[in-house]
Amino acid sequence: MGRPAIRASKSLHYIALLVVALVMLVPFLWMIVTSLQSPETLVKFPPDLILTSPKFSNYSEVFRDLTIGTFFFNSIKISLLGTLGELLAASLAAFAFARMEFRGKKILFAVLLSTMMIPFQVTMIPVYIIMKWLGWLDSHASLIIPHFFGGAFASGAFGVFLLRQFFESIPRELEDASRIDGASRFRFFTTILLPLSKPALAVLALFVFMGIWNDLLSPVLFLSSEEKMPLTFGLAILQTVQHNFRYDLLMAGTLISIVPILIVYIISQRFVTNAFLRTGVKG
Amino acid sequence: MRSRSALWYILPIFIGLSVFTVGPVVASLILSFTHYGISETPTFIGTANYVELLRSSLFWQVLGNTLYYVLLYVPASIVVSLALALLIEKKIRGIAIFRTIYFLPVVTSMVAGAIIWSWLYNSDIGLLNYILSLLGITGPKWLQDPHWALPAIAIMSIWKNAGYNMMIFLAGLSTIPKDYHEAARLDGARSWYRFLYVTLPLLSPVTFFVLAVTTIGAFQVFEQTFVMTNGGPGTSTLTLSYYIWQTAFKFFDLGSASALGYLFFVLIVIVTALQFLIRRKWVVQQ
Repeated sequence: MGRPAIRASKSLHYIALLVVALVMLVPFLWMIVTSLQSPETLVKFPPDLILTSPKFSNYSEVFRDLTIGTFFFNSIKISLLGTLGELLAASLAAFAFARMEFRGKKILFAVLLSTMMIPFQVTMIPVYIIMKWLGWLDSHASLIIPHFFGGAFASGAFGVFLLRQFFESIPRELEDASRIDGASRFRFFTTILLPLSKPALAVLALFVFMGIWNDLLSPVLFLSSEEKMPLTFGLAILQTVQHNFRYDLLMAGTLISIVPILIVYIISQRFVTNAFLRTGVKG
Repeated sequence: MRSRSALWYILPIFIGLSVFTVGPVVASLILSFTHYGISETPTFIGTANYVELLRSSLFWQVLGNTLYYVLLYVPASIVVSLALALLIEKKIRGIAIFRTIYFLPVVTSMVAGAIIWSWLYNSDIGLLNYILSLLGITGPKWLQDPHWALPAIAIMSIWKNAGYNMMIFLAGLSTIPKDYHEAARLDGARSWYRFLYVTLPLLSPVTFFVLAVTTIGAFQVFEQTFVMTNGGPGTSTLTLSYYIWQTAFKFFDLGSASALGYLFFVLIVIVTALQFLIRRKWVVQQ
């Protein structure tokens, strides 16, 4: 190809990239525009594509009237504690699977991985009954405590798998040296292995946090009172129960629910890409 | 070196695995043979739940809806993801920004995506039909139209999930040796042929993985119907997952819901096994 042809194909490429980016972004942009409408401009057709007088007070109204603040706090609490629990459980098990020999190790690992294939539709009824027995229904315990045991619907298999890979890549000599210095195995785990594994732990934390923050199923199954709900459930209820609901406020609430995850993602997107390139295909 | 202390390390995960997965898998099989309302004790009724389900026309309709959704969603979603991956594969300036943008819907919750799209789909004042009207097209009533509701959910889901498979395809593309393309180019193969005869065959193991995982995910469609349609209009978007949830937690028929859950499980296993069976026909082994 000659130079002009290369340049032309390059511009075509950029045009295609931009068109797709527009398709991906328009729903988000429309959410922002809608969230700043007033009830009068909201129902106008054809819609105003450019806002003449953005109504920023929608956001304070959402916090005042819609318990969005409560939903937000619940989401933060459940996601942070749940992530902590899952990291603990997964890193402990991953350490055993990476570095210790015990009877039934291979079978247990295979069973653990195969649980990833079991759909929630099969387990959700008994899990619901267990939550009832434990007295955890309609309490955050049902959404947090299971994560300290790997999670109610995922059994932590993904985390164990990811961390085991990483732990195995850390030289055994390091452990031998620390054992010779008199450190216990657990001490090696907490003071040397875990700090060395920060990149892997960060990726896992991101995935787990995102999973819990965005989860709708568990809250729908276990919660009933509005003041306990996280953002996903709260917004879904606002959308489905109140049919003539004002979309300006709903969009403001939706935006509020997306912002934290967007910030986390944009900060860590380099890690995410790398994680995909390294482990994405192995599945 | 054998280790007793290993037990303590795997104990939390092992408890979770038993209590939340292995136990429930067994329990729900047993429950599927009982009549069980939410506050009564289960009574054994043999295979009555299964017989009743297989005889009900609603079950077959729900199954049909689910298969229809899978057929709408899976092929289109895979083609779109692959196209996106090819688009962002070239290392040209600013490509990282586009990759980030294409992945944005993936990190957003399905609930948020579903709420936003419900608004876009609004048949009277929605943005989508406005854009279509600019092109001279009268848009359908989307979520209110029994013929369009399920396709509308599929379109929304493609937008929401395409970035995920795009990343997996991208990882797959990066493993194809450059020499192959170079050799084909020297032989005079044009880019379309290089795509057909070099990229696609070498990518087929990745495509298989994507196909298997995406199909399982599509069968499980739940949140979209929960937020956007509640299974309606009529029963046009009632899919298996939503129907199971409804049977258990709206109609409180836990026995029947367990039986449905197991039928669902068997269906997924069969479909996945079939995919593995025909794998050899189209996946290139390296």
